[in-house]
Amino acid sequence: MPAQEQNQSPDSQNTTSDNTTHFGYKTIDKEDKVSMVAGVFHSVAKQYDVMNDLMSFGVHRLWKRFTIDASGVRPGNSVLDLAGGTGDLTAKFSQLVGKEGNVILADINSSMLNVGRDKLRDKGLVQNIKYVQANAQYLPFEDNTFDIVTIAFGLRNVTDKDMALRSIYRVLKPGGRLLVLEFSKPEHELLNKAYDFYSFNILPKIGELVAKDGDSYQYLAESIRMHPDQDTLKAMMDDAGFEQTSFKNLTGGVVALHKGYKF
Amino acid sequence: MLQQAFTSSLELLINKTLSLNISNIELKKLEQKTLTVILSELNFPLSLSVDNGNVLISGLTERADCTIKTSINTLQKLKAEQQLTELIKQGKLDLSGDIKVAQQFASLAENLDIDWQSELATHIGDVPTHKLVQLGKMVTDKFQFAAKQIKADASEYIVHEKRLVVTRSQVDHFNQQVSQISNQVDDIALRIANLSQQ
Repeated sequence: MPAQEQNQSPDSQNTTSDNTTHFGYKTIDKEDKVSMVAGVFHSVAKQYDVMNDLMSFGVHRLWKRFTIDASGVRPGNSVLDLAGGTGDLTAKFSQLVGKEGNVILADINSSMLNVGRDKLRDKGLVQNIKYVQANAQYLPFEDNTFDIVTIAFGLRNVTDKDMALRSIYRVLKPGGRLLVLEFSKPEHELLNKAYDFYSFNILPKIGELVAKDGDSYQYLAESIRMHPDQDTLKAMMDDAGFEQTSFKNLTGGVVALHKGYKF
Repeated sequence: MLQQAFTSSLELLINKTLSLNISNIELKKLEQKTLTVILSELNFPLSLSVDNGNVLISGLTERADCTIKTSINTLQKLKAEQQLTELIKQGKLDLSGDIKVAQQFASLAENLDIDWQSELATHIGDVPTHKLVQLGKMVTDKFQFAAKQIKADASEYIVHEKRLVVTRSQVDHFNQQVSQISNQVDDIALRIANLSQQ
């Protein structure tokens, strides 16, 4: 079924039927989302790191560092960096878990995975990293495998987020934790307006100029608005079975880090 | 996120400094070892780990082989490895865990030897570096001379012109006179006591 060209406001984000989902502001058939999101990331993969630095003024590095600090990772841990893209988190985790630990960089998109693999190999990070092309909804790992699962700027692109959270819960060891780093809702109205202006007027133009792909960055801005806010995502994690769930707003809520444990 | 900005910059600075070091530094001993430093001036911990010859800095405390609680002032003295036990004795430093890890990190700082001139020359050339170093030395000498002069003039003004404070020799002389009077008073007291007994 082709994508329905029906624009929606962010307020109607939770009103899709069982067979439909969002692709930015468009409502599309669920089975089409994977290929449409794949199209976006195949298109932006090579410029992904440059664009991240440009769009966030480099602050994404601090958000990721914050995630590492909050993870409580130890030498010997098993870590799954889901939707790991170009491997920023994997690189740090690989160094922190040491030779006895292991990190799996998983992404549904082969282009992103290839860019990530090349980047990490160029950095000499090879000994404890594996690469897996996987859909977050159907993780191809045994139950109770990982001490830590992270998903940074990836959950909003997943078709069925609840299913992905349940799948992550399954593969976590008891005592393990999930960290979700994702764009969220700014806390202050003024910041929200400035952020909206930047996202819909400036960001697609940067995308057009640098990555020659304004549409993908238009989708990025729309997908951020359609993503559940802080409290909704926390409730979704609770529903999936996570305990002691909490979130921390970063940069005034532009991004939030959610954390939950499996006991 | 100030913590992350700080640790990120510090990590970059330390690794850049280590890459410029010309003496032989043995990082292998510290491979996968972690030293956590808790400074009284900062409200977050700094954990230093070594992986593949790179120093990583994070706020993770779970993996520490050794934890040090101290202040920035004391940390500067730690550069000399032998100071470690002395500072613990003085109570300026709390240490828990493997002391060898702390000693090895301290010796890392102690053995740093960077040829700044040679490093600068690779960027701007030999002649500009030589001129720049000469200029730097001249400016430093001038500043040191000026500082010495200002100190001497200020001392002259306060002690001799304004007479706000006295000199060390005047204080010593005064103390000596007080001691003499004190002794004389003791002698007189003794004599009075003897006379009153007779």
